[in-house]
Amino acid sequence: MSLLEIRNLQLEFGIGPTALRAVNGVSLTLAAGETLCLVGESGCGKSVTALSIARLVPSPPARYVGGEILLNGKDVLRMNKADLRGIRGGVVSYVFQEPSASLNPVFRVGHQIREALKLHRPDRARAEEVVRLLKLVGIPAPELRMRDYPHQLSGGMQQRVMIAMALASEPKLLVADEPTTALDVTIQAQILDLLRDLRTRLRMSILLITHNLGIVGDLADRVAVMYAGQIVELSPATDLLQRPLHPYTLALMNSVPKLGAGAQRLTAIPGNVPSLEAMPPGCRFHPRCARARPECAREVPGLIEVEPGRWVRCPFWTQPLPARQEALG
Amino acid sequence: MSLLEVKNLKVHFPVKQGVFSRVHAHVKAVDEVTLSVGVAETVGLVGESGCGKTTLGRAIIRLVEPTAGRVLFEGEDLTQLRGSALRSRRRKFQMVFQDPYGSLNPRMTVGQIIAEALDIHRLVDGAPARQQRVAELLRAVGLDPGHAQRYPHEFSGGQRQRIGIARALAVEPRLIVCDEPVSALDVSVQAQIINLLQDLQEQRGIAYLFIAHDLAVVEHISRRVLVMYLGKLVETADARGIIHAPKHPYTQALISAVPVVDPASKRRRIVLPGDVPSPIDPPSGCPFHPRCPVAEARCRVEVPLLREVSPGHWAACHLA
Ligand SMILES: Nc1ncnc2c1ncn2[C@@H]1O[C@H](COP(=O)(O)OP(=O)(O)O)[C@@H](O)[C@H]1O
Ligand SMILES: Nc1ncnc2c1ncn2[C@@H]1O[C@H](COP(=O)(O)OP(=O)(O)O)[C@@H](O)[C@H]1O
Ligand SMILES: [Mg+2]
Ligand SMILES: [Mg+2]
Repeated sequence: MSLLEIRNLQLEFGIGPTALRAVNGVSLTLAAGETLCLVGESGCGKSVTALSIARLVPSPPARYVGGEILLNGKDVLRMNKADLRGIRGGVVSYVFQEPSASLNPVFRVGHQIREALKLHRPDRARAEEVVRLLKLVGIPAPELRMRDYPHQLSGGMQQRVMIAMALASEPKLLVADEPTTALDVTIQAQILDLLRDLRTRLRMSILLITHNLGIVGDLADRVAVMYAGQIVELSPATDLLQRPLHPYTLALMNSVPKLGAGAQRLTAIPGNVPSLEAMPPGCRFHPRCARARPECAREVPGLIEVEPGRWVRCPFWTQPLPARQEALG
Repeated sequence: MSLLEVKNLKVHFPVKQGVFSRVHAHVKAVDEVTLSVGVAETVGLVGESGCGKTTLGRAIIRLVEPTAGRVLFEGEDLTQLRGSALRSRRRKFQMVFQDPYGSLNPRMTVGQIIAEALDIHRLVDGAPARQQRVAELLRAVGLDPGHAQRYPHEFSGGQRQRIGIARALAVEPRLIVCDEPVSALDVSVQAQIINLLQDLQEQRGIAYLFIAHDLAVVEHISRRVLVMYLGKLVETADARGIIHAPKHPYTQALISAVPVVDPASKRRRIVLPGDVPSPIDPPSGCPFHPRCPVAEARCRVEVPLLREVSPGHWAACHLA
């Protein structure tokens, strides 16, 4: 049994005819100890999907209109408050992009970690445990740093504190939502190293949200690419990076400059990500797709397993793409 | 002659503290920076946040007053100009900002935003000419001229960045300082803007000082690259040299820290310890020595100067 299994998740904001469907049929699984990356451009539904695992999307306005989220076999969407508290405090923990927004500026960081312990592991809410957690996330001189206020720490150190707080409850699954996006590249490298190290030491599963394909290559076992509220490709990371099958994945990879590749012209994706109010009919990517055919505007493609472990939401995935897809602006 | 020459530029900000607001220290945001940009050339500027990139860009176009040093534009020292003389030269250099939202007046239509730039420098006569020029500029950046009546909030992030570029182009500049112009954009839109900047350079011969923290983007767009650390240039070379044969240990670490897409590439990663020190009280000797994996005793005392370690490749490191 997988640690996490999301089946056909459907989430809307608002009610009635004006409701906007932000997540439209997302399915994925995550095994114990596995790292899955969720990739996609802003607004495609990564955060909302990830927050749903512990039912943290405020509802209203959010409404779950279909699907299930099985954590250790139990459906989170049908849990009572006590069970939800149980998974928030012992199964799933979150780390977000902006540590400064998640830390309380008026309390020392040691105090904040201790509060997290009191909530989830009251038997261990002691200074030694705070020091152990700070050491675990690589903070030098933890006995001193625990007395610091958040503003006295750099962004990288703040993010380590957030990770320490997330680890306080000994989660089976760490959800990291763009944890390095706000950090400089040398600090990002430190945090990625830390996550890699923690994963093996604590045998956690990690759901890592990023828009950086380099991070996928660095850390992921498997990767799910999202576009406009749907997964368009789900695959072992190495396979996907070496041979993307969905036109959007390929276009995304071609649109980023690669370090060491020189000045070769980039192949931009024409147009913009569609808004929830104006979702194109048929395949949601078709207006920007180099491979689009007339039927793509009519028929909604399903996510199909085209090779063992490789899922693609495009019936024409075997068709060659035009050599270059130029920007239309 | 270079289009732009910056010589020993310093920008030091006073830091006030305490009830008497006495200046007790300075942030050396830009410290003794020398660089040049040729006609229609792109020079990239990289470094971690707080290293002084924005301040350097703003000092070059005189949005902040340099503390010392010279900025020569087509041979003329801008730091000596005041008033109308400065205003008339301003036309030749423009800036494009990271945040397309914050840099466009939300109460003006796109047409008015662009026309304002034309009017300040009296570049058009009469309404029809102005309208025609606005349409031309919108078309040049890939926007529909029919959208001149719309307001900034009606556009996506990428389109707003195009509006910012159109406004900069309006005055026919020779140089545009691009301060992280694609950092806030989604990757698919980043490529559109990068391609647009490159096309405009080809068509109009504009030079760019292109500031970014993304090394791959900088390598892609720049002929030469400058690497900055704590207000100082630590290495400069052509883009190939910087990426494939970096000489300064900081540049080496910066490049090795970039996560790469290719899962087969097994590069050795240098993970630097610690954080960037404060520019208020930078370390003695080489400012990088506390984080440097190869620092020696003299690095703690002797300040390394930029020297040419191979033809056209300069590094400020005793060991390079
Ligand atoms: N509280 C909310 N109310 C209404 N719409 C929301 C809310 N939160 C997110 N959305 C919308 O849901 C979509 C997915 O958002 P999100 O999951 O945050 O995207 P991502 O993390 O991929 O950038 C977006 O269109 C966003 O505007
Ligand atoms: N107006 C100012 N007053 C005081 N300090 C400033 C000011 N502007 C920038 N600084 C400081 O100068 C340094 C360089 O900042 P900046 O040029 O914005 O760096 P970058 O663009 O590389 O991130 C930072 O330490 C910053 O805090
Ligand atoms: Mg998000
Ligand atoms: Mg800046």
